[in-house]
Amino acid sequence: MPTSDDGPSVSRRGLLAVLATAGTGGCLQRARSVVNHRSPEQVSVTIKTVPADDDAPSVEIARRLQERMADVGIDARIEPEDEAPFHRSILINGDFDVYVGQFPARTDPDFLRPTLHSAFISEPGWQNPFGFSDLDLDGSLLDQRVADGSARRGIVGTLLESVAELQPFSVVCFPEEAIVVRTDRFRGWPRDGRLSPLDYLTLRHRENGEEPVRLAVASTDGRITQNLNPIAVEYRRNGTITGLLYDPLARRDGDSIRPWIADDIAWSSGDAGRTATLSLRDGATWHDGRPLTGADVAFTYRFFDDTSLGEGDVVVPAPRFRGRSSLVESATALDERTVRLTFGETSQSVAERALTVPILPRHVWEEQTGSADLAGVDLTTAITDALVWPNTDPVGSGPLKFASRTAGEELVLSVFESHFLFSDPPTWADAVPAFDELAIRVAPSNDTAVALVTQGEVEATATPVRPSAHDAIDEAGPFEAHAGESRSFYHIGYNTRREPFGNVRFRRVLSRLLDPQTIATAVFDGDATPAATPLAGTDWEPMDLAWGGSDPVVPFLGSDGELDVSAAKEAFREAGFRYDSDRLIR
Amino acid sequence: MTVLFELLVSVTGVTLALVIAASLAIIGRDRLCAFARNYRTRLRAGLPSLVLLGGVLAINGVVRRIGMEVSWMIGWNITYDIYAIEGTFVPFLQSFANPWLTLVFSLTYVYGYVFVLVFPIVAYLALAEARWLRTATLAYSFNYAIGLVCYLFFIAYGPRNLLPDLVEPLLYANWPSSQLLTSEVNTNTNVFPSLHTSLSVTVMLLAYRTRREYPRWVPVAALVGTCVIVSTMYLGIHWATDVAAGTVLGAGSVVLADRIVDGDGRRTWTAAAGRARDGLRTMRNGE
Repeated sequence: MPTSDDGPSVSRRGLLAVLATAGTGGCLQRARSVVNHRSPEQVSVTIKTVPADDDAPSVEIARRLQERMADVGIDARIEPEDEAPFHRSILINGDFDVYVGQFPARTDPDFLRPTLHSAFISEPGWQNPFGFSDLDLDGSLLDQRVADGSARRGIVGTLLESVAELQPFSVVCFPEEAIVVRTDRFRGWPRDGRLSPLDYLTLRHRENGEEPVRLAVASTDGRITQNLNPIAVEYRRNGTITGLLYDPLARRDGDSIRPWIADDIAWSSGDAGRTATLSLRDGATWHDGRPLTGADVAFTYRFFDDTSLGEGDVVVPAPRFRGRSSLVESATALDERTVRLTFGETSQSVAERALTVPILPRHVWEEQTGSADLAGVDLTTAITDALVWPNTDPVGSGPLKFASRTAGEELVLSVFESHFLFSDPPTWADAVPAFDELAIRVAPSNDTAVALVTQGEVEATATPVRPSAHDAIDEAGPFEAHAGESRSFYHIGYNTRREPFGNVRFRRVLSRLLDPQTIATAVFDGDATPAATPLAGTDWEPMDLAWGGSDPVVPFLGSDGELDVSAAKEAFREAGFRYDSDRLIR
Repeated sequence: MTVLFELLVSVTGVTLALVIAASLAIIGRDRLCAFARNYRTRLRAGLPSLVLLGGVLAINGVVRRIGMEVSWMIGWNITYDIYAIEGTFVPFLQSFANPWLTLVFSLTYVYGYVFVLVFPIVAYLALAEARWLRTATLAYSFNYAIGLVCYLFFIAYGPRNLLPDLVEPLLYANWPSSQLLTSEVNTNTNVFPSLHTSLSVTVMLLAYRTRREYPRWVPVAALVGTCVIVSTMYLGIHWATDVAAGTVLGAGSVVLADRIVDGDGRRTWTAAAGRARDGLRTMRNGE
């Protein structure tokens, strides 16, 4: 694959010039000065994104950005990549200039800590993929973790304003997403446009037959048939299916955190900071029959922090769940059924986040802590087997267990009858699986996924489709489409490790080339809310960052969606860039 | 019956019907009767070619499945370069879209293509001489083999995947389940070159070469083949660049196959072997 060469280079012409000067006995020192001066070059950018089959709006936003960049004299191109290679480039290898994509759905502001704190720069996953560092921001990211109530609200407000000023990434909009469902066999489908792990468990079957019930859904994400590793970031979107295979200590239910595999959580706070003492449910077992103990829980938190468990030369953190696991200072098994987690100085509402990570079986993952090799050749110490293991025969403790799979076609899970849901279901949700098998069929695109529903082959689209899918269903039939706003915002990410994206002024002008208002109308047919901050639409959004027709901090350089090219060029000049005729140079 | 299975049955059924109708109209009763009498010898003569083609197709199927991972490691993503070369030709072509054209091209892309590939095999089997069967199967094999190598080295998405704002995925938008079938056959990163084009070109060239045997096949192949080629762009699946590369591949495969079948290849081999023998003899004599 071609890569851009950022190092200083001596052009052939420069070399000839040196030889010529040397030959004519000219002043060599002057020649050296001339040749060693970096000659200005056009700013060139590769915009990475996924193909339209995976996510059409991402490509459309990338296309607009590319055209606007070309308008202002930047040499820009688009490189579409399948989801797994795309995530590998962005989240693991840092191999990108700019990308367009969706951020995983998050609700608590603490997600910004792993996303932007400089301590996470070298970690893989959604841990600071931008390579961004700012001391002041680092400070407020840590402060919000400790503060509570209105104090925290104030810190988060300031924090969000700094993020908007610094533009490590540009928020574009929050899309509406939908699911299409068939209502004659199952009822209780969610109305918010997405299927969470809990939604699968609370569905109800309409018939009371003796026959085994199979629930089939269509997913456009074929990766789940190839890899079921919950920490493999390049294979997971929101981890809904792995969220059914693996149980967390507690689950999020709306705004509250509900005990799940732990049945009691006692919080205390003292000089040593905050502590949670959890007791695990009696009889909790893994899918392979072994008991789930406090040692597994303690192991899990240690493992997420360093998947080599201290055996490797370097620490190899897990690419997923790190934001949450990094809240935990120590995890200790007090006995078979009791675990103590300490958090240091952390507010309870933030500390609770750490309880929602999946618990992994120690006896399985302890085998995966060695450094990964390829055909016996140890390539690097920074990767453990755990990160690259496909985990195609997963051992979890969740309500569903692995049954079978056909790569690229289907994944089948069956209910795990020893799960507590069958013997001691929670009081706050009617979450007893109403099926014996869950089959996830892979569909090559959203349109085919909807077609599989309307043609009666599956009950629902498991991955979100555009709200316009509503038009494709027959109103007379037993079909419904439910839409809701997704928290997965579209954004443009900048690799601040690479020039000129490390320059905040440059990023700010880039952000002003796009008009989220027009994108929401033209790309999403109005099914999206333009936004200036990643927490837009939540109680955390400060008044100053509310969307009022344009971005309050980095407003669009134009009007009615039309870029004012001369104003944009002027903005680049003001930011310290120059033009060589029509080319933006640096 | 699943949607995919229904589609497979319908493609098989339609192709069978078309091939039977075309056999009666193009091959003619006399040749068919002669084939019925000598089918054992004909099949025996054609067997090596058919086995070769089957082998290439089998390898092709396996490599395409695992090839993507290799492709992401070594491949060159040329999607944007293709767009930079040809710009908005495909959107321009789609500006002529209307529901009838879309229907016709969708049907040719799926059914017409399979028919245009299968019929020549049947027609050339029915000839007394195995020469054309050999040429056709060899040319098909070259198409697949060279195409596969290109797919390993080039990662390219079609226009509908890069320009969703300009290009409608006409086939899949109007007939979503067809994507269940096409995605079984190929992945969306394998568009350069267009095998729909290259194989159609191969078939058309062979039709022209065999115009004495099958004069009626020439216009049919030309019409269906051209429609298949246009449909790949009209439906937003391929770039004009893929079609150009496909044309070169299709023509090149016929030339290569011809060389080998005509014995040029064999002659070259014999000559090379002869020279090697002579060389050895000279060396031995020199001792």
